[in-house]
Amino acid sequence: MTHFVGMHEDEVLGKAYDNRLLGRFIGYLRPYRWLAFWSLLLLPLIAAARLAQPYILKVAIDNHIVAGRMEGLPQLSGYFFSLILAEALLTYLEIYLLQLMGQKVMFDLRMELFAHIQKLSTSYLDRTPVGGLVTRVTSDVEVLGEMFAAGIISIVGDILVLVGIVCVMLWMNVKLSLVTFAVLPVLVYIVFAFRSRMRKAFREVRARLSTLNSFLAENIGGMAIVQLFNQQEKERQRFRQLNASYRDANLPVITWDASLFAVVETLSSVAIGLIIWYGGGEIVRGALTFGALVAFIQYIEKFFSPIRDLSAKYSIMQGAMAGLERIFLLLDTEKNEDKRESGQSPLNPPFAKGGEGGFKENFAPFETIEFREVWFAYQNDEYVLKGFNLMLCRGEKVALVGETGGGKTTVTRLLSRFYDVQRGSILLDGTDIRQIPLPLLRRRIGVVLQEPFLFTGTIEYNVCLGDEFARQRVEQAAAIVGADRFIRNQRNGFQEEVRERGSNFSVGERQLLSFARAVAFNTEILVLDEATSSVDTASERLIQEGLRGLLAGRTSLVVAHRLSTIQDADRIVVIHRGEKCEEGSHRELMAKGGLYYKLYQLQFKD
Amino acid sequence: MTIREYSNLYEYIRNCRTRYLLGSLFLLGANGFALLIPWLLKLAVEGLKNPAPGGHAPGYYAAWIIVAALAHGLVRVYSRTFILHAGRRIEYEIREDLHAKLQSLDLPYFAMGRTGDILSRFSNDLANVRMLLGFGFLNIINTAIIYLAALSLMVRISPALTLYAAIPYPFMILLVKRVSHSIFHNSKMAQEELSRLSSQVEENVSAAVVVKAYCREDAQTEAFRGIGTSYLYYSMKMANLRGILIPFMALVGGVGTMIVLLAGGSRVITGELTLGDFVAFNGYLVMLIWPTVVLGWILNLLQRGAASMARLNALLDAKATVREPSDPVKMEKISGRIEFRNLSFSYNGTPLLQGIDLQIGIGTRVGIVGPVGSGKTTLVRLIARLYPVGDGELFIDGVDINRISLQKLRDAIGYVPQESFLFSRTVAENIAFGRAGATLQEIEGAARLACLDGDVAGFPNGYKTVVGERGVTLSGGQKQRTAIARALIKNPAILILDDPLSAVDAGTEEAILQGFSRYYGDRTVVIVSHRISALRDCNLIVVLDEGRISERGTHLELLEIGGLYAAMYREQQLREEIAGY
Repeated sequence: MTHFVGMHEDEVLGKAYDNRLLGRFIGYLRPYRWLAFWSLLLLPLIAAARLAQPYILKVAIDNHIVAGRMEGLPQLSGYFFSLILAEALLTYLEIYLLQLMGQKVMFDLRMELFAHIQKLSTSYLDRTPVGGLVTRVTSDVEVLGEMFAAGIISIVGDILVLVGIVCVMLWMNVKLSLVTFAVLPVLVYIVFAFRSRMRKAFREVRARLSTLNSFLAENIGGMAIVQLFNQQEKERQRFRQLNASYRDANLPVITWDASLFAVVETLSSVAIGLIIWYGGGEIVRGALTFGALVAFIQYIEKFFSPIRDLSAKYSIMQGAMAGLERIFLLLDTEKNEDKRESGQSPLNPPFAKGGEGGFKENFAPFETIEFREVWFAYQNDEYVLKGFNLMLCRGEKVALVGETGGGKTTVTRLLSRFYDVQRGSILLDGTDIRQIPLPLLRRRIGVVLQEPFLFTGTIEYNVCLGDEFARQRVEQAAAIVGADRFIRNQRNGFQEEVRERGSNFSVGERQLLSFARAVAFNTEILVLDEATSSVDTASERLIQEGLRGLLAGRTSLVVAHRLSTIQDADRIVVIHRGEKCEEGSHRELMAKGGLYYKLYQLQFKD
Repeated sequence: MTIREYSNLYEYIRNCRTRYLLGSLFLLGANGFALLIPWLLKLAVEGLKNPAPGGHAPGYYAAWIIVAALAHGLVRVYSRTFILHAGRRIEYEIREDLHAKLQSLDLPYFAMGRTGDILSRFSNDLANVRMLLGFGFLNIINTAIIYLAALSLMVRISPALTLYAAIPYPFMILLVKRVSHSIFHNSKMAQEELSRLSSQVEENVSAAVVVKAYCREDAQTEAFRGIGTSYLYYSMKMANLRGILIPFMALVGGVGTMIVLLAGGSRVITGELTLGDFVAFNGYLVMLIWPTVVLGWILNLLQRGAASMARLNALLDAKATVREPSDPVKMEKISGRIEFRNLSFSYNGTPLLQGIDLQIGIGTRVGIVGPVGSGKTTLVRLIARLYPVGDGELFIDGVDINRISLQKLRDAIGYVPQESFLFSRTVAENIAFGRAGATLQEIEGAARLACLDGDVAGFPNGYKTVVGERGVTLSGGQKQRTAIARALIKNPAILILDDPLSAVDAGTEEAILQGFSRYYGDRTVVIVSHRISALRDCNLIVVLDEGRISERGTHLELLEIGGLYAAMYREQQLREEIAGY
């Protein structure tokens, strides 16, 4: 991970840190530099249209109204009207261009975040609350939108105007200018004093919103449990605490922002007071003309106007920076492991990505899969697998049995590389699977998870997941696993809508769909993880029949608790405390009278 | 449409009225000071131009300007903090009410709703409403103050000229009427797309393993791009409307100035108006240009806020179908007699249960079996009233379930759902979830009954180990047993087990069943299972088929009937035999 980890040390890092953050952000603006260019170009035009209006008024008053000449006045009014019309049109363009740029940048950032989240390792996602990630992609990016809506580009204009006015003031009167600028150190000091506090406050705000959303996401997911256990009041209290803490984090931000705004207002008036005091003295001493003083006071007002604009944008900027920090922090997560995760190793450069369908032609069927002395721990040193060995040959059906928590599921997760082994290796035809591009590896393995997951969409989509190759096999796959029966009973058949998490289908139905999914992808290797456990006997029979046909000529690794479902396995491997303790056919193991025999006795006791 | 959406807000604003009132007063003060300073400046300049004997020194005015400036600053800070804090406080209150509402909604509601959508309403829509209540309110008051001040001064100079200046305003109102509907509509669409973005992220993260397993990362990213593009489209429509509204407001101000130039100029020439008044009038008109632009911004905010408020109202007004009874029957203690009387239940027009007649006496242990989709889970969910039940169809201890307070009912039920949902808290907190103040001994006792104690002993921090979100760090079997312990510790009169042992191995199942047989006592137990072995302690077994009870009786009786149950049992027996061969 990179320097952004040191977020909390930014008071030390200070400006350099901000510059890096901004520099990186500007990289995102680059594709839209023409939009930026045009909107920058519009700024002086708008300013010109705006500034010319008082001039026309002046001409109208001095040359016509005061002189008592009506003729020419309508013509001037015409000019005036064209100017305000031009100003309106240009302003419209400016707003539109700026918003277009902002929305495009936000879109790009969102896409990058989303694509990045897809690549994050399973272990990272296990540790990270869903609500937090949702907040990154939505609210944290949305904050940037505020920055564009506030007209970030005009900061450039404000700074230019400021420099111009400073030059004019110095040219007019150095002494008076210096008196005016005397208030600036106070402003600079306050801005800098506020900066780190404001950022810290904004960071709190973003972090607490994320916590709040994480809690809420979990709370919604577990609402039935909350209600069944009558815990509504308790959960309300927990939520109230987080909600209040989010509110309270926001309050200082408001105070800082209001103070900054007030400080600028006050300092501009103080500067005028100082000029009156100093300039008045100078006039009395005859060192300054009266006209020069009045003109100078007007310049002070012009001088503070861009500062006022800048300070109004300052807190929006700080908020956006806090959002950016969180966005970049996520984008930098596991960046170094990026290569490993996407599996692009120098050994196999030709396969960058698994294409849609037809991918199977790309490689020869595999012969063996070998787990060689595999060690793995989800958390430091708590090894779930300790020197696990297993050999699978093509066409074999191997079953993993053993007590819960013994490491069976872990074996299947390692094969698909949801996690990487810590020691030892998993070899596909003698090649370490870490050397195989992930898409290629995973496209050869069909996985049925312990808990079937359905997406919002249609039944068809849930079986083929939008893959063209799989789509052609949807109906066939459904028939193979016996899911076609209940699908036909749906009003819209395969086009029936699936709600969030498949909540409009029973667990058994969901399981059948996830089987159909594995079948539709027609993979070489099938991994079934405790999948047959919550389907009733009748459906189970159907599935067993379907799977038998499917498994022919296909390697499968089945994790099962029901010893009855795996009796026809070619080999049964018994895992005990992370090690293989027995291996053989059902009959061999029964004859042996070891752990398998005991498990079997327990299950079929009656 | 705006007003209707906002009617819910009235109460919140009223509760914060002191802050709003103080904030508005300070705002008035701030504007007063803002006018005071130029006046002091004018006095100072005049003093310098024509130094009168006995007049004040420049330092005198300078000192007053600085004092006024400091006071101005202070008042400004307070005006903003009072109003903006009020906005944040109301946001907090609304969020509280939204959450309270969520807690009262039932399973059918959540089956419809998307988690990401609700999350989005809680953060993005609420943010829009809060913007209105904070910055929006601040600017509305500020604009009103400036308008009132400038208008009254203008009317004093020339009522006729003021009318002239107001000529463009009716056009403004016309346009605003046109545009505001569009803003409302597009803003709502944009918010809905943002909701879909949230849902998509939420679903994808939750399903990360599936997406990875089938290499669907690119396809999912494409789907996300689709929604993102749609959001971009509506956001740009909003930007377009905002782009029209704001310059148009400036145009309105400009046209007013132009009309005054023509009409006022001629009056000066004819002598109806003094030049000084004309210049002053123009000055006030210029003062109004910026507030008019802000008015456009406020209108945008109002419509956007209304669109979001409509989305929040949809949630606030959602009606749960399962509600607390208005006149709950007083019950001392639920002892656990359950009676279904010709109960039927359908969901979204699909009948799931039909004509269920079933009596379960106190201390009876009922097993429910049947094919996938036969209504087993629905049946047990109705006992806990997770779904709405028709009147006169389900009775607990002889009382219609709809007349028992939900709290009372659910307190009496220990429920182990099919899918074990755990919270990202410690193991102990998860077990004691339904029983506040459970002692460690009680927690350990429940864990022992559920055969979880051995596993917990192996965890790094024992019972204080925090399980990951949705319990990801535990194995399926461990999660399920934690859920069992969570139900057992409640010491319920009715224990409902929905396929409770699906993810545990044979040895653990045996141990749990043994523990259960000691625990059952005179509790009423309802077990849904696919495995007949798990029903061995049941004294009544009910077979469901397509939503109807097709068979009922004891294990032996059902075998004698020779129906569906017997077939299931034979098949399981056969498997064993084949396996044992």
